[in-house]
Amino acid sequence: MFWHNYKYAFKTLLKNRALVFWTLAFPFILAILFNLAFARLHDYDVFEAIDVAVVNDAEYEKATVFSEAIKSVSEGDKRVFNTQYIDAMKASELLEDNEIVGYIYIEKDVPHVKVNGNGSSETVLQMTVEQIAQSSKMIEDIAMTDIYRRAGQTVNIEEIYRNAVKIVAETEPNIKDDSHVMNVVSIEFYTLIAMACMQGAMLSVEMMNRCMPNISNRGKRVAVAPTRKSTMILSNILAGYTMLLAAVVALILFTRYILGIEYGSDMRLIILLAAVGSLTATTMGMLLSVALKTNESAKNVIVLIVTMVGCLFAGMFGGQKGLFDAAMPLINKISPVGMITDGYYSLLYYGDSARFTMDVVSLLIVAGVFFALSIRSLRRQRYDSI
Amino acid sequence: MTVSKAFWKITAKNIGTIITYSIILIMFGSMNMSGNSTTVEYEAVRPNIVVFNHDEERGITKKFLDYLGENADIAEGYEDDDELKDALFYEQVSVVVDIPENYSQDLTFGRKPELRLRSSAGYVAEVSKAMIRRFVTTAESYAALSLSENVIVEKLDNALKTDVKVEVRGAVDASRYAKATRYFSFANYSILACVITIICLIMTSFNRQTIKKRNLVGGIDIRKMNRILLRNSCIYSALVWLLYVVVGFIVIGAESLLNMHGLLYVSNAFVFCIFATTLAYFISSFVTNTGAVNGIMNVVALGSSFLCGAFVPAEYLPEGVLAFAHVLPSYYYIDANNKIMLLENDNFDAIWPVLLNILIVLCSSVVVVIITNIISKKRQKIA
Repeated sequence: MFWHNYKYAFKTLLKNRALVFWTLAFPFILAILFNLAFARLHDYDVFEAIDVAVVNDAEYEKATVFSEAIKSVSEGDKRVFNTQYIDAMKASELLEDNEIVGYIYIEKDVPHVKVNGNGSSETVLQMTVEQIAQSSKMIEDIAMTDIYRRAGQTVNIEEIYRNAVKIVAETEPNIKDDSHVMNVVSIEFYTLIAMACMQGAMLSVEMMNRCMPNISNRGKRVAVAPTRKSTMILSNILAGYTMLLAAVVALILFTRYILGIEYGSDMRLIILLAAVGSLTATTMGMLLSVALKTNESAKNVIVLIVTMVGCLFAGMFGGQKGLFDAAMPLINKISPVGMITDGYYSLLYYGDSARFTMDVVSLLIVAGVFFALSIRSLRRQRYDSI
Repeated sequence: MTVSKAFWKITAKNIGTIITYSIILIMFGSMNMSGNSTTVEYEAVRPNIVVFNHDEERGITKKFLDYLGENADIAEGYEDDDELKDALFYEQVSVVVDIPENYSQDLTFGRKPELRLRSSAGYVAEVSKAMIRRFVTTAESYAALSLSENVIVEKLDNALKTDVKVEVRGAVDASRYAKATRYFSFANYSILACVITIICLIMTSFNRQTIKKRNLVGGIDIRKMNRILLRNSCIYSALVWLLYVVVGFIVIGAESLLNMHGLLYVSNAFVFCIFATTLAYFISSFVTNTGAVNGIMNVVALGSSFLCGAFVPAEYLPEGVLAFAHVLPSYYYIDANNKIMLLENDNFDAIWPVLLNILIVLCSSVVVVIITNIISKKRQKIA
């Protein structure tokens, strides 16, 4: 009887177009939109040469060391600037039209930079011009130090300057970069997986409503049917859970293999987290269905609100997860969306770590609590009138 | 009267939808609204840096710490390595610097000690690394001259002082309107969601076969009924617009909206509401199932918001996506908001690009009305 009911529950779920849309189609649509919208977000962080202009007047031509340095940072594959040499009027026009980040000009031997506002590109322009100005100053200083040191000796000024230029140009800082840079956009997709899991609570709301005599006519028929209530409920819930898990796994495979999102290397753990997340959503749907004596759409709205607010805190839509974590450290630790997102994040960043285990165990505890509360409400339920 | 009553009854039943999308607008539309300063002074980006100093705080090391303090915000309280890794991942911290033991002494004697860095992925991290490289290169250049520690510190002091003058062009700071631009651009989603959901639900209810047949034999002329529905839909859309303008005044602040910029923002939003109304009529001309309304609305509203830059700024979107977005009116609505932010003058020439975008949205509404009429006529003939 269990498997017979399971089969028909699964079939009827598949025929419910609204549920199929929200649990199957909607996360896929969002995944595609995320991929389109966030595709360049990570690339944007990678440094690219910035568009600048230089006012090529008599003062600029006079500052030979400075102009040579500008030329050197504007050439080659690793150039910092895409430089245009133009007059002041044209430079001002380009800046007004936002076609350049800023322009450089020399006034009374002092380099000036004009920009439209504050920002990272403007800071790079400022820092590079400062560094060039500093290098000219340092060459002078190093040469003078050398000359001062050789006081009384015959000195070759040209050679001293050549040496100073060599020191400034060839000194390579001994800095070891241990950065393990990862794509922060992946977090958007982890929240999407979490959202897909939690929205699946709608499936168990629907399946439970079918067994509740005070909610639906079908529930009344189920209540008087000569079948164990537990068999009916569990087979319905299992059908919902199976459909949800299949949808979430399909979404993971789609985002991983078609959209190229990283999840870490261990596929078993990725699926395990999806299974536990889906289980939590299923039990949450059960509890909502049992605890709230209202219609299905009101329960679904609650599922949506819990899910979307959880997604916001977990970092969806460019949300500031870090800021929420700092302001409300507990929120992502008790929210199932936060736990699922953190589980995928820790799987990618730390591998099979204690943090991942903690996320899975926490989700299981939450699922256990939801399930126990649902069963407690369902047991020995009797109706005086419906 | 009966038709209007039914219209507002269905609207009242779905008031939750309006509240939900308004909350979403307030939550997301007011996020990242740090920029609303009116300063016209140039300020360099100040990255967040974490420093683990294993050396004594003296000589070159002290100078390095002072230099970092002047140019960046030194973040503290990161004792746990996992917490630090999270902060790097979420770009709350740009760079973590590990200064080794005897750094100052080793540098002075030309031993070139190794400085270790860990950085986040962002552009700001690149700025931070360039800043650190600048200091270390300067220090190592002077150390190559075999100078004493004190002399190196003195020379570093002098070398790192900058004479470069940075000026900000114009008197208007675009960041003053960043808040309003973000809010009204995000409203693209909320306006579409609220207007399409409610109008489509009402229209599909009236278009349901049984109701439609009853209305056809009823006392009210079908044309009159359509006119009443259209009038109420327009009133509803205007109310949605008014609600978002009032919420905007509260969230953004009146000082940014009580001027020409504000007038353009609210006018742009009003024209977009007109477009949303026509789009809702277009959708309801072929959707007969109320259950499908939410799905279609989400695909339309989320799709246009993602593709046109309501959620992610347009400059971050791939070129192909942006090229496609040009066929969607949402693009011109959001682009108009961005143009309003950059407006410096109130004269007609300066405002014209914004007006052109508003005009494109208005023309799109006319096109949608024509298409809807053609579809409706065809359907009537079939019926």
